Amino acid sequence: MIQHTDAPVVEIHDLTVSYGQNPVLWNVDLTIPKGTLVGVLGPNGAGKSTLIRAIMGLMDFNSGYVKIFDQEVDDVRKRISYVPQRESVDWDFPSSALDIVMMGTYQRLGLFKRPGKKEKELALSCLEKVNMVPFAHRQISELSGGQQQRVFIARSLAQQADIYFMDEPFAGVDISTEKAIVNLLKEMAASGKTLVVVHHDIYSAAKYFDWLIMLNMHLVASGPTETVLTEALLRKTYGGKLSLLSDVGELIKKSSIDPLKD
Amino acid sequence: MEDFVYFFSFQDPNVVFVVLGISFLSISAAMVGTFTFLDKKALIGDAISHAVLPGVCLAFTFTGTKNPYWIVVGAFATGALATYAISWVTEHTKLKEDTVIAAVLSVFFGVGIVFMTKLQQTGNAAISGLDHFLFGNAISIVGEDILVYGSLALLTIFTLLIFYKEFKLLIFNRDFAVSVGFPVKSLQFIFNSLMVLAVVTGIQAIGVVLMAGLLITPVAAARFWTDRLGAMLFIAVIFALVSGVAGAYISFVFPNMPTGPWVVVVLSLVAFASFSFSHKKGLITRWYAKRKYQEQIHSDHILKSLYNVLENGGKGISLMELKKDFPGKDAETERSIKRLINKAYLSSNKDFIELADAGLSEARRIIRLHRLWELYLTEYMNIAPDHVHDTAEKMEHILTPEIEAKLEAYLDFPSTDPHQSIIPRDES
Repeated sequence: MIQHTDAPVVEIHDLTVSYGQNPVLWNVDLTIPKGTLVGVLGPNGAGKSTLIRAIMGLMDFNSGYVKIFDQEVDDVRKRISYVPQRESVDWDFPSSALDIVMMGTYQRLGLFKRPGKKEKELALSCLEKVNMVPFAHRQISELSGGQQQRVFIARSLAQQADIYFMDEPFAGVDISTEKAIVNLLKEMAASGKTLVVVHHDIYSAAKYFDWLIMLNMHLVASGPTETVLTEALLRKTYGGKLSLLSDVGELIKKSSIDPLKD
Repeated sequence: MEDFVYFFSFQDPNVVFVVLGISFLSISAAMVGTFTFLDKKALIGDAISHAVLPGVCLAFTFTGTKNPYWIVVGAFATGALATYAISWVTEHTKLKEDTVIAAVLSVFFGVGIVFMTKLQQTGNAAISGLDHFLFGNAISIVGEDILVYGSLALLTIFTLLIFYKEFKLLIFNRDFAVSVGFPVKSLQFIFNSLMVLAVVTGIQAIGVVLMAGLLITPVAAARFWTDRLGAMLFIAVIFALVSGVAGAYISFVFPNMPTGPWVVVVLSLVAFASFSFSHKKGLITRWYAKRKYQEQIHSDHILKSLYNVLENGGKGISLMELKKDFPGKDAETERSIKRLINKAYLSSNKDFIELADAGLSEARRIIRLHRLWELYLTEYMNIAPDHVHDTAEKMEHILTPEIEAKLEAYLDFPSTDPHQSIIPRDES
């Protein structure tokens, strides 16, 4: 069940991506409409993060292309915000929460320019949206996992983008904070922003998202939540890895050349 | 002393030049080192510093003189080659980075030593002092050399300041830097070049072998004092400056003494002092804090003993009796009592000890915390009353007045603990 849309903000065409020599996403073809809050669902190893990372240009494609706002990603990066997984950075880095959120303003500043008073105020207002102002000057390693996650979300807000890609933003966040952030994201979607969020919980996904992308090494479904959240599609998504795809992946991983690239 | 005054009064223009030169290169090394350290690439700095040796020797071989321009070019070339080799081999083979670094370091340094030995056997008079490049000799640098190394160091410092925010983002979160469209590959290239440059500027003053020390040790010491990047850079720079200038001074007083080892010795002292005495993480600081805490616990226990005497209808207790409560700790007990008397918590009359008013209030507070905590554990965590004493024994020393107020509110100002002992409060 893959529903396409006219005038999409994200268009992914025939995308195949490998991690090293191990193919993890096969022939993904989907479109996302503007102003939606999109959930990316799938079991572990289904390629959820890979999809986001591929869109952001952090991985080489074997085939296919990605267009955002009908343009190359590199040409519209100022309108895109990315929230990486929390574990992907070393939180012992000598910085305060405010410093990290300020990084969200670097893009607009461009090279060479230093963030000033305006950027600081913006960063503080973003910290306020995620209820983190009291921790603005705390060393980031002293924050809890959920607080670190909120710092990342605040940094993303400081980018003032039109489309947001968030990789597991609710990992380690307590349930009341999660709900507050979801409300914030819903408001943003209502004001015309598009948000693509990797999520791991099917039950809350039904309540949170207007559009779902369901992955299991390939695209199982993409469409409005009420049409794709069916038992049959869920079973296809979570009913174990497709053994054939896994076998082929193993075959490619073991071979001394990469048939998808060479 | 005369030397000291002569050196640090800067009346000799040569001294001024040497100090300026070594200051610039110490600053640049410490700044580049700070980013290298945070990027967990400290070992690469070591590899580069060893890998510049063959370049230095090649420059000699081809020019036959100690021309600083060619030396810098040669050193930069082999240093950069080593950096590139490390990243290429790591990326294209299954070898781990530390293995690759160790291999590259020894190959380049080995080749360098072979070249150097060959050169020394030629008997060319112009190459005397070539061994200065191994361990450094700050005072041997003159005129043009200082100009070359000094301006390279300044270039490194300025480039680093210009790209401060970019490098910071690159090291903290590379994926994010890519996602915002920063030219990450070019930035990485610039940073790698700075790393090589920072080493190259120090080869004559500090020497190739120990340059890695000046790169990494200042920031490793600075890490103990701060958790802000700006402050860390500043402190690392100060540490490097102090050791660099001290090294230059020593090689001024003893011209045959190589500078590099002395710089590293001073740096080690700074580093050792940092991880012994830094305010939060220092070993000695922590040991002292622990000792203080143990003293406080002992004083608290003495107050509790005296309060028990009061609860059982007594007035006070003799020093002998009190000591019996703490077998094997006579000396500590006496010290604690002395401290408590000084604080006017206790009064002592011919070794008969009583609680003073302030002491009584403090003893009540400790007992109150103990009993409140016991009650909290039994009421809110369903722990059996005979299991709560041990944790309460520890918590009584650390619970703050704010937490005490919360406990009182949660438990609605209880009058007795789970063992039916009265929870004491000051009458007010």
